Amino acid sequence: MDLEWAKLIPWIAALGAVLCGICCMNRRLRKLAAPVCIGSLGLSFLLSVLVAPGVHRFDPQMPADKLAKAHVVKAFEWIHVGGLKADFAYFLDPLTVLMLFVVTGVGTLVAIYAAGYMKGDRGYARFFAGICLFIFTMTTLVMADNLLLLYLGWEGVGLCSYLLIGYYYDKPSAVAAAKKAFIVNRVGDLGFAIGIFWIYFSYNTVSISEVVRIAAAGDVPGTDSAKTWIPFLLMLGAFGKSAQLPLYVWLPDAMEGPTPVSALIHAATMVTAGVYMIARLLPVFVLSPYALPTVATIGGVTALFAATIALCQYDIKRIYAYSTISQLGYMFLGVGALSAVGGVFHLFTHAFFKALLFLTAGSVMHALAGQVDLRKMSGLRHKMPITAILMLIGCLALSGFPFITAGFYSKDLILASALEKGLSEHNPLYTVLAVVGLLTALLTAFYTFRLWFRVFTGPVEYEMGDQHHGDEHGHGHTETGKIRVVHHHEPHEMPWLMNAPLVVLALGAIFAGFFGVGEYHGWVGGSLDGSTAHIAAPGHGDTAPLTLLGMNLHTAMMVISSVIAIVGITAAAYYHWLNRAAAEQFAERFPRLVRLLADKYYVDELYHAVIVKPLRVIGELCYVFDRLVIDGLVSAVTLVPKGLGWAAKCAQTGALQGYGLGMAIGATVVVLLVIIKVL
Amino acid sequence: MDTPLDTLTLSHFLLTGAVLFVLGVIGFVTRRNLIIMFLCTEMMFQGVVVSLAAFSRLHLHVTGQTFVIFVLTIAAAEAALALGLVVLLFRRKRTLDAEAWSQMSG
Amino acid sequence: MFDFTDASLLVPMMVFIPLLGGLALLLPVGFAGRDSSVRHYALLNTLVTFAVSLIVLGLFIFGDGAASRFSSSVTWVAAFGLSFGFGIDAVSLWLVMLTTFLMPMVVLGSFSGITKRVREFYLWLLVLEAAMIGTFVATDIIFFYICFEFTLVPLFFLIGIYGSSQRLKAARVFFFYTFTGSMLTFAGVLYVAWYASQPQELGRWTFDIGELTRAAQQMPYATQAWVLLALLAGFAVKVPLFPVHTWLPLAHTEAPTAGSVVLAGVLLKLGTYGLLRFALPMCPEAVVAFAPYIGVVAVTGILYTALVCWVQKDIKKLIAYSSVSHLGFCVLGMFALNVQGVSGSVMYMINHGLSTGALFLCVGMIYERFHTREMRQMSGLGRVIPVWSFFMVFFCLASVGLPGLNGFVGEFLTLLGAFNAPQVLGWPYAATAGLGLVLGAIYILYMVGKVVFGPVKVPGQESHPVKDLSRREIATLAPLAVACLALGLYPNPVLKSLDEPIARLIEPARLVISATNPNTIAGVNLDNTAQRTGN
Repeated sequence: MDLEWAKLIPWIAALGAVLCGICCMNRRLRKLAAPVCIGSLGLSFLLSVLVAPGVHRFDPQMPADKLAKAHVVKAFEWIHVGGLKADFAYFLDPLTVLMLFVVTGVGTLVAIYAAGYMKGDRGYARFFAGICLFIFTMTTLVMADNLLLLYLGWEGVGLCSYLLIGYYYDKPSAVAAAKKAFIVNRVGDLGFAIGIFWIYFSYNTVSISEVVRIAAAGDVPGTDSAKTWIPFLLMLGAFGKSAQLPLYVWLPDAMEGPTPVSALIHAATMVTAGVYMIARLLPVFVLSPYALPTVATIGGVTALFAATIALCQYDIKRIYAYSTISQLGYMFLGVGALSAVGGVFHLFTHAFFKALLFLTAGSVMHALAGQVDLRKMSGLRHKMPITAILMLIGCLALSGFPFITAGFYSKDLILASALEKGLSEHNPLYTVLAVVGLLTALLTAFYTFRLWFRVFTGPVEYEMGDQHHGDEHGHGHTETGKIRVVHHHEPHEMPWLMNAPLVVLALGAIFAGFFGVGEYHGWVGGSLDGSTAHIAAPGHGDTAPLTLLGMNLHTAMMVISSVIAIVGITAAAYYHWLNRAAAEQFAERFPRLVRLLADKYYVDELYHAVIVKPLRVIGELCYVFDRLVIDGLVSAVTLVPKGLGWAAKCAQTGALQGYGLGMAIGATVVVLLVIIKVL
Repeated sequence: MDTPLDTLTLSHFLLTGAVLFVLGVIGFVTRRNLIIMFLCTEMMFQGVVVSLAAFSRLHLHVTGQTFVIFVLTIAAAEAALALGLVVLLFRRKRTLDAEAWSQMSG
Repeated sequence: MFDFTDASLLVPMMVFIPLLGGLALLLPVGFAGRDSSVRHYALLNTLVTFAVSLIVLGLFIFGDGAASRFSSSVTWVAAFGLSFGFGIDAVSLWLVMLTTFLMPMVVLGSFSGITKRVREFYLWLLVLEAAMIGTFVATDIIFFYICFEFTLVPLFFLIGIYGSSQRLKAARVFFFYTFTGSMLTFAGVLYVAWYASQPQELGRWTFDIGELTRAAQQMPYATQAWVLLALLAGFAVKVPLFPVHTWLPLAHTEAPTAGSVVLAGVLLKLGTYGLLRFALPMCPEAVVAFAPYIGVVAVTGILYTALVCWVQKDIKKLIAYSSVSHLGFCVLGMFALNVQGVSGSVMYMINHGLSTGALFLCVGMIYERFHTREMRQMSGLGRVIPVWSFFMVFFCLASVGLPGLNGFVGEFLTLLGAFNAPQVLGWPYAATAGLGLVLGAIYILYMVGKVVFGPVKVPGQESHPVKDLSRREIATLAPLAVACLALGLYPNPVLKSLDEPIARLIEPARLVISATNPNTIAGVNLDNTAQRTGN
C-alpha cells in the first residue's frame, strides 16, 4: 500500500474522537461510542499493517531530499516562520511501524475490553472520545516527522492522560492525581521544549530525519555544550513522560483513572514515549559522552527503587504502577546501554503483558466492586478461573519466567547488553547496573507473584469494594457504584467480550518474545537497525565474544536470570501461598523498612514540602507584594499631584478681597516685569 | 493762551486715572460692604476710562473713545446686574458683609 | 480623497460603520424603546463590520511587499501634514480581524448581562470598536494616537456605569493610570515629529508613520533611548508590563463581561501593537540596547504574576493576572528581534485575545448564574453545567498553550525566538520564561480542578436547578472555540502573511545587531533574517 495512506492513521482516530464527542451530546447516541471507537482504532491498526510493508529502511547516508522522499508523508503545512519549518508530516521507518503496531493494536484491544468494562457508566461516550483522542495524539507522537509535531503528540498524550485520569472527576483524589500528572509532565516537557529550541539553534532544523542525519554524520554545528547538554534536556522530557526518577511521582497516582486507561496509557503506550524518543534520537544522545550513561543509571536506579516500593504495596493497581515504573527503568537501562533493540524490544513485550496484567486486575476489580486491596481478596481462582490463568501468564511474563514468556527474552537482552558493555569497555558503571537489574528481576518475580498468589490462591475469602467513587450527594453513577448494584452477590468470570482481547494479549505476552530472538534479534532488531536508532557500533564483532561462567555471555545471562526468576517465584509461593503467616512474621522483623517502603520513601511528602509548599508561599508573598508594594508605589506617585493640590489650596481662602488683592499684586508684578524689561 | 487746561499734559490725565484706579483697588481690598466694593470696582473702571480718553486725545484717534463708550455701557449694564445680585445676597443672609460669602475656599 | 472605485474605501468603512452606527443610537428615533431591538441592532452592526473585514481579508494579497495596503487619506491640517490616513498591513489586518471577530461575541455575550441603560451600553461598545479598529488601521501617527487615547473614554464609561461594586474606583484608576503613561508617549511622538521636521531630515512637518519611522532611525542613540522610554511609558502600561500592571486586575474584576473581553482581547494589544509599530523600527539602537532589560522585566512579570495567579480566589482576578503573565511572553518574543520571536508575539496577541476573551465570557456566564466568582463557593460544575464546563476546559487548555490549540503557536515561537536571539536575549531568558509554562499549567489546572471538577457544589441556590448554556451562549463561545482550534492546527496562512511585514519592522534592529556583532553569524539562524534583502 502506498505510504501516503499512512497519514490517515492518526486522523481516523481523530475522526473517531469527534464522532464519540458527538455521541456525548445525546443520551441515545451514547451507546454508539464504543463501536465507533473500536472501529476507528481497528481501522488505524489495519492501515498500519497495510502500510508496513512499504516502509523503507532508514539510511543516514542518503541525501536529505531522497531521505525525505522515502520516509516522509506530508499532510499539511503547520508552522513556517523564517527558517523554521514544521509541518503535519509523518515520518515512517521500521521503528515507527513497530510503535504503530503497539499503539493501535493494544489500543484496539483495550477499547474492546473497555466496551464491556465501562458499560453503564455515565461518561461512557466521554471515555471513548478520550481514548480516540489519545490514539490520535499517540500515533502523531510516534509518526512525527519533526520535533514540534512530536511535541504536539507529547503534550497531547499528556492532555488525554489528564482527562482520563480525572475521568471520575467528582472524586477529589482523581482530580488531584490528574493535575499532578499534567504538571509533573509539564516540568519534563519544559526540558524537552528547551531541548527543541536548542536543537533548532544549533542544527537549524527541527526535522527529525535531518537532525539524525546531521548527528549521525557527526558534524553538528555550534559548540560542544550543545552536543553535551541537548540530550540532557530531551532526557528530562523522557523522564517526565516515562515516569523515571525524579519525575515518577505522578504515575502511581494516575491509577485513579479507569483501569483500561491505566492499561493503555499508563502501562502500554504513553509512558513508553520517553523510551521511544530516546531511541528515535539515539544519534543525538550518542554525541554527548555523559548522556547515555546518565540514562542507563537513572533507568537502573529507578528500576530497583520502584521495585522495592512495589514489594510493600497492597493496592493491586499501584503494585502494577510501580512495576511499570520499574520496567520502564529497564527500558532506559537498555537504551542507555546503547542497546536500543533491548529497550524497544522490552517496550514491545511489556506492552502486551502489562496491558494484560492491568486488564485482568480490572476484571478482578470489576468482580469485587472496585476492591483493590490485596488483603481483602484470596482464592479467587475458584471464582474466576480464566482471569486467574490470564493473569498468571502476565505475571510469568513480567517476572521473566524462562523460555516460554516474552518478558524473559527482552529483559535478558537488556541485562546482557548492559553487562556486555560493562565488561567489554571495562566500564564498571554498566556492570553494576547489570547487577542492579538482576536484583530488580528477583524483586520483580517476588512482588508479581506475591500479588498473584494473594489474589488467586488460598482460601476463598473476599470483601466487596466499598469505595465511593463519585461524591456524597448521590450524583455519581460511577464505575464501582454501578457495578455494586449489578453484582452484589459474588464475584464471577467476565463475559467473553472482555476476555477475548485478554486472550490475544496473553498470546502476545507469550509469543511476542519470538519477534526479537534469532540472529540480530529478529524482527525487532531488524526494525531498529533500519531506523534512526541505528548506531554504527564501533568495533562490533571484532573482539572475541565475551564469556561468563564459561558460557557465551548471553547464554550465561539467560541461565542466571532463569534461576533468579524461579527463585523469586518460589519465594513468593512460600510466603504468600503456602505459608502466609511467615510473610507477616518476616515483615515484623523489619518494621521501619516496611514502613518506609509502604510509604513510598516519603517522596510525595518531600516534594510537597520542598517544592509545592514554598512555591505557594512565594505566590502568597508575591500577591501581598503586589497589593502593598507595587500598588503602594503607584499610589505614592499619585500623592505628588495630590500634594501639589493640597499646597495650592491654601491660597483659596474664599475671601473676595483676598482674591482681589492677589489679582492686584499679580498685575503689578507683571507690569513691573514689563517695565524692567523695557528699561 | 495759558489756560490751566492747556498746561495739562498727558501725565496729568494718566495720573488722575491711576489715582482713581488705585483708590478703587484699595477700597475693594479693604472695605467689606458689598455695595462699597462694587462702587470701588466702578471707580477702577473710571480710572481706566480716563486713561483711555486721554490716549484718544493724544493720538487723535477715536478707538479709545469708542472703548470708553463701550466700557460705560457695559458698566451700566453690569451695575444693574450686580446690584440685583447684591440684593439677592442680602436677602439670603441679611448682611452685606463679603466675609459671609467665603465658602469658595479650597 | 477617497477613490470610490477601489477597495481602499473598505478600511475606513470598518471604522465608520461602528462609529456612525453607534452614534445613530443617540438619535431619538426607532427601536420603540425596546432593549432587545437595540441589542439586535448592535449585533447586526458588528456583524456587518466583521463582514467588511472579511472582504478586506479576501482582497488582501499576501506578501506583495507594499508597506500598507488599501491606503487612503483625508487631509486634516495641511500646514502640519496632519491627515486621517488609513492603511493596513498583515499585522494590523489580523488584529483588526481579531477585533471585528470578537465584537459580535461581546455583543451577544452581554445580551442578558446588561439590562439597564442598554442603548448607552451599545453606543459605547460600538464607539470603542471604531476606536480600536482606527488604532490598528491608522497610518498617521496623530490619528493613531487619537484613536489610542479615545479607547479610554468608552471603556471608562463601560466600567464606571456597568461594573460591579468598586466600579468607580476601577474606572478612575484605569483612566488615570493609562492616561498618564500615554501622555509621555505623546510627548515622544511629538518629539519624533519635530525631529523629522528639522531641515536636515525632512524639512517639513509630517505625521505619516512610514516617513516618521525612516526619519527617526537617524536619531542619535541617546535621543533614541529617550524616545523609547517615552513610548514605553504609554505602551508598557497598556500591555501591561510588570511592574505597571496593577490597574489591570482591578479594571478586569470590576468591568462588566463585555468590558473585560474587549480589554483583554483587544485593548491590551494596542500596547504591544504600539511597541511593534513604533518602538521597534523608530529607535532600533535603543531597542537593541534595552532589549535585555525589557526581557528581564518581561520574564519577571511572567513568573511573578503566574505565582500571584495561583493564590487568587476570584476566577476573574485569576484570569486577569494570567493576562499579565501571558503578555509577558508577548513582549519577550517581540524583543527577541527575530522573525520567530516577533511572529510568535503577534500570534500571541491574536491567540490571547481569543482564548482569554473566551475565558472572560465563560466567567461572565458563571457570574450571571451564581452572582459570585469565588472559587471556594463552587465546585464540580462539570456535573451541573457540562456544556459550559466543556468550553471552560477547552479555553483553559488553549490558554496554557496546549499544542494543537492556538496558544501553543505563539508561546512556542516567542520562546524559540528568545532562545535564538543570543545577541539580545538568549537561552537564559527562554529557559526562565519557560518555567512560566509550568506555573501556567499549575494555576489554570488549579482553577479547573476547583471549579469544573470535584464534588458538586453550587453557590446558594440548591433548590432550583442551574441551567446549562443557552443556544445564544453556545453561539457566543462556539465560534471562538473553532477559531482556537483552527489557529492551532493551521496557523500557517497567518504566519506566512506576517513574515514579510515583520521582517520590515525589525529590519532596522537587525541591522544594528549585525553591525554590532559581525562575528556572531556562525551558529545563528541568519536565514531567518535574510528576507531583509528583499526590501
